[in-house]
Amino acid sequence: MSGTARGWSLAAGLTVAGAVAVWLATASLNNYLLTLIAFAGINVILAVSLTLANGLTGLFSLGHPAFMMVGGYVAAILTFPASRKGFMLPDLPDWLAAQQWPLLPALLAGGAAAGIAAVIVGFPVLRLRGHYLAVATLGLIFILRAVVNNLDGYTRGALGLSGIPRLTDLWWVYGWAVATIFVCWRVKQSSLGRTMMAMRENEMAAACMGVPLARTRLLAFAIGAILAGIAGGLWAHLVTNLTPTSLGVFLAFQIVVMIVLGGQGSITGAAVAALGLSAIANLLRPVEQTTGLYGLTQIVVALVLIGVLIFRSQGLFGSREPAFLQGKAVPSLPERQPATPDNTDPQRGST
Amino acid sequence: MRTLTRIVAAGTLAAGLGTAAQAQETVTIAALYNLTGGMSSIDAPALNGALLHAQLINEAGGLLGGTVMLEVVGIDTKTDQQETATAAQQALSMDNLIAGIGFGDTTFVLAAAPAFQEAGIPFVTSGATHPMLPTWVGDHMFMTAFGDDDQSYAIADYAYDTLGLRRVALWTDDSMDFTRALATFFRERFEERGGEIVGADVFMMGDTDFSAQIARLQAIDPAPDGVFIAAIPGEAGLSVKQIREAGMAFPIVSGDGFDTELVATVPGPELANDVYFSSHTYRADDRQVVTDFVAAYEEEYGRPPENAFAPLGYDAVGLIANAIEAAGSTDPEAIRDALAATRDFDAVTGTISYTRESMVPPKPVAIIGVENGEFTLLETWTPGE
Amino acid sequence: MSDYLLQQLANGLILGSMYALVAIGFSMIYGIVRLINFAHGDIAMIGAFTALAALMAADLPIIVVVLAVLLVGAAVGLAIEAVAFRPLRGAPQVNGFITSLAVSVLIQNTGILVLTAEPRSVAFPAFLSQPIAGLPITVDLVDVLIVVLAIVLMAALGAIVNRTRLGMAMRATAENLDVARLMGINVNRAIMAAFAIGSALAGMAGLMWGARYGQIDPMMGFLPGLKAFVAAVIGGVGSIPGAMLGGYLLGLAEVLFVGLLPPEYAGFRDAFVFGTLILVLLVLPNGLLGRAAEDRA
Repeated sequence: MSGTARGWSLAAGLTVAGAVAVWLATASLNNYLLTLIAFAGINVILAVSLTLANGLTGLFSLGHPAFMMVGGYVAAILTFPASRKGFMLPDLPDWLAAQQWPLLPALLAGGAAAGIAAVIVGFPVLRLRGHYLAVATLGLIFILRAVVNNLDGYTRGALGLSGIPRLTDLWWVYGWAVATIFVCWRVKQSSLGRTMMAMRENEMAAACMGVPLARTRLLAFAIGAILAGIAGGLWAHLVTNLTPTSLGVFLAFQIVVMIVLGGQGSITGAAVAALGLSAIANLLRPVEQTTGLYGLTQIVVALVLIGVLIFRSQGLFGSREPAFLQGKAVPSLPERQPATPDNTDPQRGST
Repeated sequence: MRTLTRIVAAGTLAAGLGTAAQAQETVTIAALYNLTGGMSSIDAPALNGALLHAQLINEAGGLLGGTVMLEVVGIDTKTDQQETATAAQQALSMDNLIAGIGFGDTTFVLAAAPAFQEAGIPFVTSGATHPMLPTWVGDHMFMTAFGDDDQSYAIADYAYDTLGLRRVALWTDDSMDFTRALATFFRERFEERGGEIVGADVFMMGDTDFSAQIARLQAIDPAPDGVFIAAIPGEAGLSVKQIREAGMAFPIVSGDGFDTELVATVPGPELANDVYFSSHTYRADDRQVVTDFVAAYEEEYGRPPENAFAPLGYDAVGLIANAIEAAGSTDPEAIRDALAATRDFDAVTGTISYTRESMVPPKPVAIIGVENGEFTLLETWTPGE
Repeated sequence: MSDYLLQQLANGLILGSMYALVAIGFSMIYGIVRLINFAHGDIAMIGAFTALAALMAADLPIIVVVLAVLLVGAAVGLAIEAVAFRPLRGAPQVNGFITSLAVSVLIQNTGILVLTAEPRSVAFPAFLSQPIAGLPITVDLVDVLIVVLAIVLMAALGAIVNRTRLGMAMRATAENLDVARLMGINVNRAIMAAFAIGSALAGMAGLMWGARYGQIDPMMGFLPGLKAFVAAVIGGVGSIPGAMLGGYLLGLAEVLFVGLLPPEYAGFRDAFVFGTLILVLLVLPNGLLGRAAEDRA
């Protein structure tokens, strides 16, 4: 989809096909399946948006749940019925307590808040590399959790916000998933995307070519955070309940798993892995429920994961997108490069 | 294996009876519990209790003169709210669903029960104790347990009147709403009675090391008369052991989070002394319904009930079965009405009546004492209406 | 007040010893195969349950229990290496990270299925929890043993790594696997040794955990594992002395933030702990003792 007419029409075709699928699903499936698909869609948004930082730029961030928390709380506080906000969240300033926004502006506000948070945090933290960055972003989750937990008057503390209106439906999730994939795809195919990948492959060489390292890193981090914030808002309006422990370390790991399983830097891969993992886990539910062997789902998913990584170490799609989604007009896109020694040598490799 | 044989047995039983009596129906109760992850030690026993009760009812010939059999389907919500919201929708998509039960903690109830409310299916939480739950969720929400206010008031009164405590330190698990509510209600009552809270400290669920809090407790001058610990079973035994090992012998008081063998076994019989907690009236109780339950549980699972959540799960199914009999029907709305009209239901964990406007059952609260690792029922506290 | 501070320092030291034991194994494995092993904490859990079985079912003397735990820990480490990590050698680093998460989930949920999630009490011989007399602070015999044993084990590890042929092979492999292999070093043996030793130490930490706190459950390894990761990174990933230092620092930070913060702020403990760690990293971007070269391609 590299700007060619063919690419655009393919994108439009896929979007319309997806919309038809959503319409059919909404018309025929029960609430359980619709909820499952909606969560899988939110996972797609999370995995694809984290691909910018973790897959393309080679940063190792575990901070997505923290940004979801920011976006989720901001959006939920904004959509919450004004009549109940006053006594549930007594410390909110009056002007804020009087607001009751529709979902779209609330999501955008949540995304913006997450983006701002990412920029503030990113300035110092993005100087770190590899595992050091992973620990620092992991720390963000714990720090934010402690703060939200203790600001009772704004967040209702450990009890969390409950009774959030269930505004998220499959259309909202689908719309944002398409928007996320579109944004990330465009970024990946743009000069910014190539800059990111250049940094992932060899930071020093990229710097020598005049790539502004700090700014590119911050951009990758912040764009991902904005989308994560929006996903957090969608999540909160689907679960209808948001507590300081709703979005935690385990979710951070799950998102990374989706990216790696899909192939580092592959947007299609992240989306397919997100959908596939949700599908396996939920197909196994009835088995657990009839045998009483609770925990089986996690065990099987873990075994599948180990198997895939052993037999397909580059993930399902490597760093590429499937050929039919590529505009054939441009045959040599950067993601067709073979894996560099940097990526395969266990002695080196920056994750 | 045990589970497998039970399922096969239940299956053949249901099939056999199904062909025998044509008019029979099997209705489903969805049981939403965190069977894996951080909350599983609390929720897994509750599901065991629920499954046991359904099995006993079916073995005794079912409900409504043998025309209705109960099937309890346990759904694992994995200590995860996304899984909880999904599980609620899965439950609501089941055929023959008449009610939902589940959870030992308020925050998970709040992620699932509103969906049941919206669908017009009653939801009975077995273990959540926040007194505002029915108000927040709506008229299809029912509680099996007492409210945190009642259990905190009960132990606060006991601590003030019987133990004669006047200056008490307060420890709270800051990461859970249950423990924070417990601590707040205790403080409210204890101060109202004229007691004083000297020194408040917090910890987090999953903490195993309380040495920092203990050092601070030791530094309170003059020393407090006792400490109130708002904790769940995972931290109950650990905190008692460490406080006693540090040489502090004053009474330790708590709520139903302490209702676990761990309070006696982790510190060991020499150190498990002078511990008092308020709980559901089943431990160290010799009512027939209690002894029958404990015997049946031991026979089925090969161990005594792990904690108070097991009998609560048992009672949640009992409440629904009782409502089906009262309504004479398995229609969810009829069951809801019958549930709301429940009076003097003789449950393992105490008599249940929904007489209050808040719909929190005014259940008797047991005060349990631990001496040399032995649990004794000391007193039964009766709440006001 | 100084007794109070002393008590808190002692508490931090004891907690730090256990973190350090888990963290050095973690860091050693990272150093040699560049693997972030999130299942490391779960090996501590297996060690704790081995101790429970050895004590309760078999009633073995304590020294045999210790040996059994070390052996089982080492065996589990070797098994995990052979099944889950050896086939991944040469794959991108992050794959190992994900695989180790999967192994961790596997161990925990198998534990829940087999053992149930209920915490169990472990009764160690009573003499272990006797307080040491004549000190201004409260310290039990088991606490002293934990600190001493941790230091002895770490010193022994240092001796193995720095003074034996096996240790030399391990260091060479850590430096450069391919060159080490070209030099005729049995790289597989060095890697297996790292897994065996590191996992045995983790198992030992699990035993200490059980002895000090008296309560274990199938999910007990997750938090210590996560903290070992943090400790190892703070110390500088791959550096064994660094991991030790990181473990002690983390233990002290956790205890001291609770002990010294005004109670109103105690709820922010985790925020302070992680905030401090991030600050440390910002000042020392390669951890306390990490090598700057580690990170650059």
